[in-house]
Amino acid sequence: MAGSVVRYLAFVGVGFQSVLRYRASFFVSVATTATTTAVVVFLWRAVYQHPSHPAPGGFTLPTITTYLLVAQLLIRLHDNRVDSEFANDIMTGNIAVALARPARYPLMRFCLAVPVIVADLLLVALPVLALFAWLFPLRWPGAADLALFAVAAACSVVLAFAVNLITGMHAIVTTNTWGVTLLKTTVVGLFSGGLVPTDAMPAPLAHAAALLPFRSMIDTPVRLFLGRYDTTADALRLLAHQALWTAGTVLLCALLWRRLVVRIGVLRG
Amino acid sequence: MIRAEALTKEFRQHDVKPGLLGGLGALFRREHRLVRAVDGVTFTVPAGAKVAYIGPNGSGKSTTIKMLTGVVTPTSGRCTVGGLEPYRHRRRNARRIGVVFGQRSQLWWDLSVPDALRILQRIYEVPDPVYRRNLALFRELLDLDALGTTRVGELSLGQRMRAEIAASLLHDPAVVFWDEPTIGLDLAFKRAVHELLNRANRELGTTVLLTSHDLNDIAAICDSTVILSGGRVVHEGSLRALLDRAAHRYTIFGHAGTLGTAETIRTVEEALPGVTATAADEGRIRLRYDVARWSSREVLATLLTRFEVTDCYAPEPDLQDVLGELYAGGTPDDARAVRT
Repeated sequence: MAGSVVRYLAFVGVGFQSVLRYRASFFVSVATTATTTAVVVFLWRAVYQHPSHPAPGGFTLPTITTYLLVAQLLIRLHDNRVDSEFANDIMTGNIAVALARPARYPLMRFCLAVPVIVADLLLVALPVLALFAWLFPLRWPGAADLALFAVAAACSVVLAFAVNLITGMHAIVTTNTWGVTLLKTTVVGLFSGGLVPTDAMPAPLAHAAALLPFRSMIDTPVRLFLGRYDTTADALRLLAHQALWTAGTVLLCALLWRRLVVRIGVLRG
Repeated sequence: MIRAEALTKEFRQHDVKPGLLGGLGALFRREHRLVRAVDGVTFTVPAGAKVAYIGPNGSGKSTTIKMLTGVVTPTSGRCTVGGLEPYRHRRRNARRIGVVFGQRSQLWWDLSVPDALRILQRIYEVPDPVYRRNLALFRELLDLDALGTTRVGELSLGQRMRAEIAASLLHDPAVVFWDEPTIGLDLAFKRAVHELLNRANRELGTTVLLTSHDLNDIAAICDSTVILSGGRVVHEGSLRALLDRAAHRYTIFGHAGTLGTAETIRTVEEALPGVTATAADEGRIRLRYDVARWSSREVLATLLTRFEVTDCYAPEPDLQDVLGELYAGGTPDDARAVRT
């Protein structure tokens, strides 16, 4: 047991050292994240500033700004590229090397991704948050909501990783994941609440979102951040709901991996 | 240690007719054929043996190695490494094997070699004394210090291969699978690699399965061979037995007589019908004869009675020739589509 913890921590070390090699990419990332966030924020602020509209979803200008900002930063943390990296491992046949190691491949991938996520949080998300906090008035959470958000955000990162890995696994069957990846991005963008807050969605779409796991990726953590729940029991129910979806998706990921790993045929040499 | 029983692996391959029209046709009608990359391969490698697994391009060597390392699951048949079926117990098997896939890197592109080895120490749980001993050995024989802290992605092929070899032996594996381990290495480092593996075999009893197109690797490391052609085993036995299969032998001799080269060649070919004589360097003559027709004794006796022989030697049969003859007997790769 202790041995396997050491083993997987070693992969975290690899990820960390790789991250340190690419300092410049984080500056670029800050710029792109700030730009996309600005686009979304300005668009929605225009909607909410219009005096003749009843505010959709019951957001005020500071809360919708906060919602979109936190959502964009979460999207940044979810973008772990594991889908394309996995697909690439399959296409190039480099999966052979990874499988010849005494480690579970999906867990190894996760360990390699953790430092990237941490670096994205510290070097991209927090600076962008500071920038927008300076530009606009935001709605800041209390200590309890912040703690709830931290748990939900960590959970959402795991969920997003599992969703991306499942997307990447299509490569074993189709050896072309571009279309599937694009589909996933669209579906997740729509039903997670990242593009449109679920509270502001038309009823049928909101119902669909409620039935899918993707809401736990953005809507749940941001809802907790903004304190948009009635009682503490409600908040805990949201967390439990998210934890269930995360566990379920991780389980599905593990099952799919077991079924698909035997189908891997490394033809290239 | 290694056992393959009727090991078979089939792949589905899409057939697209050549050209733009062929490509368009494939949009509507997909044709695929089943290709049997490995076709009922059976062989055994005892513990501590050093076996060359050889065959021409596309004969199924790498696919077999991928099944033995647990990367690929066989379509039928089975194989075991130290009693475990690798594709069923992939991680347990992986801890006991060392792998070099010459075409791809097991090191991390962004890490330096020392960092990568330290990480591998933790992944394979190598005890500190073993790690220190092996590292000292690799630094001496593979000159790892010369690689410095350059990241692996910036190393040349030969430099990277030195690191790959080190990585594959770091944890004292019980079995080593090396697929083209010496590509890009110069002569001195090839020798060092041979020495390293032979030492591991001698001191730790490491079992070796090696594929290489460099016959020097095979001669320097392996004591027996499994030869594959068209996905099937066409020969299994010692390297000696393989060389004995050579259909032709060579004898090279020099003589002190007054006969010129052309004259000597004519004399030899008259005395030994069917033997080809050619001029070798420094006035010597090289004879190539059919083993089925002439014995070495007859050839030598003839030379000694006809000429005033000053020197004479008979090199080992050429491994390349032997392999060429064996490969020619196998099934051509195009004939291996089993179903359309």
